[in-house]
Amino acid sequence: MTESTTIEAPDVRFDATRVAIEDDATPLVRLIGRTLSRASGPGRPAEDLTAGLAGTVAIRSHDTPQTATVTLGAGVVEVTSGVFVEPDATLVVDLHARFAPTQEPAGDADLAARVLRALRPPLPHWRDAAVRFWEMTRDIAGIPDVLLVEAAGPDGIERGRFGEGTTTYQIAGPADLLAGVFSGADDFLASLAEGLRVQGTLSQLSVMTAASWKVRFDV
Amino acid sequence: MSELAQARGAVRLEATNHEGSLLGKNVSPQKFEAGKDAGFAFADILFAIDLNNEIVFGDAFPEWRGNLYDIQMIPDMSTLVEWKPGLDSVIGDYWLKDGTPVPICPRNLVRKLVASLADNGYAATVAVEIEATLFEESIQEARARGYRDLTPLGGSTGATYHLARSKDWVDYMEAVVERLDSVGIAWEAWTDEAAPGQTELNLAPTDPVRLGDSWARTRQVMREVAFERGHTVSFMAKPTAGFGQGAHINVSLQSDGVNRFFAEDGPSELMRHAVGGLIATMEGNTSIALPQITSYRRLVDLTGPPTTVSWGVNNKTTAVRAITGHSKYSRLEYRLPGADVNPYLALAGVLAGVLAGIERRIEPPEQVTDMAWCLPESAGVRRIPDTMSKAGAALDADPLLREYLGDEFVDFWVASRRWEWMEFHTKGGDPFVELSAWESQRYFEFP
Repeated sequence: MTESTTIEAPDVRFDATRVAIEDDATPLVRLIGRTLSRASGPGRPAEDLTAGLAGTVAIRSHDTPQTATVTLGAGVVEVTSGVFVEPDATLVVDLHARFAPTQEPAGDADLAARVLRALRPPLPHWRDAAVRFWEMTRDIAGIPDVLLVEAAGPDGIERGRFGEGTTTYQIAGPADLLAGVFSGADDFLASLAEGLRVQGTLSQLSVMTAASWKVRFDV
Repeated sequence: MSELAQARGAVRLEATNHEGSLLGKNVSPQKFEAGKDAGFAFADILFAIDLNNEIVFGDAFPEWRGNLYDIQMIPDMSTLVEWKPGLDSVIGDYWLKDGTPVPICPRNLVRKLVASLADNGYAATVAVEIEATLFEESIQEARARGYRDLTPLGGSTGATYHLARSKDWVDYMEAVVERLDSVGIAWEAWTDEAAPGQTELNLAPTDPVRLGDSWARTRQVMREVAFERGHTVSFMAKPTAGFGQGAHINVSLQSDGVNRFFAEDGPSELMRHAVGGLIATMEGNTSIALPQITSYRRLVDLTGPPTTVSWGVNNKTTAVRAITGHSKYSRLEYRLPGADVNPYLALAGVLAGVLAGIERRIEPPEQVTDMAWCLPESAGVRRIPDTMSKAGAALDADPLLREYLGDEFVDFWVASRRWEWMEFHTKGGDPFVELSAWESQRYFEFP
């Protein structure tokens, strides 16, 4: 599900790169596209994903039939569902562990490593991720007004309150897990089995699921 | 209640949730008598369970749903029949404590639309052609095989209308219609259909609520007869990687006992408007008529199901076939639904389209007189949404269906299909094979 520490891999960004996903995309394509798009955040170490590289990388789930193809070209990264070409590299990853590879990449090692780094950016601090999560999900019907967070970190419990209003929802858990959920790197419902704790109604849990899908898959 | 059931038997309470199979409880005669007026408590979660027993998340619950509240199932005593010796069966609707219908209750939706038609001065007559596929193996054997590699009952040769099907297949169908007769379900015909093991059973025209009841019960009968004979039946949209199966709905409108779809020279004005409404709502209605992931695998040109948002007089390649020129038989055949559809929701979708058309006097597009499959874009005929996600988006954006089916139902349904889509893609379904094992596990037995 998640790792206990924030991923320390070098970051990848695409200042001059556009990430495009196909119409009616699958959740995996959406997840990859969203992850790659957000790798272009300010203040990240510069390493353009497409600089000097072109080719196709197949992404395969290690435990489901989910597959996608990432095609790197001049300034454009395209993500499509399925693998219908002979890829230059193949990554087999655990989609419930932030794209952690489950076996050695095949094919072009440099290409595979570059894409893998882009898929596994360092997580933001849970507080920054929570702010963004709450902002992104304001228009979802039934979303509570206030998000209360209790994050268990190495220095003890940190608390956060996001938003104003009368309806509240509380989420508590390890800081790293919270960062994963709020940033979309981790699946909200699956995280409940990984130590995430919530307080609210069943309906609010349902709405929070929609919110997490918005952040994770952009649906 | 029959005397026998009262003496030592039970009463089966029946209704569908958003999926198409009957759900319910068996209650003692004493319990039934005590509760038949006030209703029987069911957890609201029955409208939030998917076909893998997972709770469906992804939307805000309406007020009447909470942390697993109860809703009331009130039997419609006009549906009470002796199902078999010692067991009566009755169909009901779901109601809230304040006496209002559960807005997403499929049967109540049909009742609401029937009432709206009556307000317009019309009564609908509807009929359905139920397709199903029979297999030699018992359900236990089918389960053990993951519902794959089963043997079609009656032989492996695909053909239509053959009267020479082997006795096992014929015996099964004869037993089915005997059971239908015994529980008062009027049927018109049954025949060999295109796929190996496949049958088509036509229920007689009647009013929409009664047809929904008969349709849901017919599925139950066909399952029970299959179990009794050690066979298996499936209403899955594609029970095998080969053929699919649909559920065409025929509809006409009457007033004063006269079929108002009839005109001497083709579709009446009323029929035209009904077509206009059905075409205007077709993309959105696709989400209801094709409810499961597998439903969309049928949408292949030249294989039978419609693939375009189209209509035509006596044109079975279109989505809406107009049968005209006869004062009794003039009707519309809505060819979109799959065999896996919820009967009540399919009927509600059709009635909503018809109502929208006649109330707004919607003129249909030009009819398609050519073959409606494989049309080029330049023909100007739209394609039917070919994925669950596209159809869900179309329903979400359909103002007519939102008005006639209600925002609450549309929001609920769209969210439930998004859940289904997410489950398929992230938990083992494979969109790039003809039929994935995930689909067989999930859809072969239910709905």
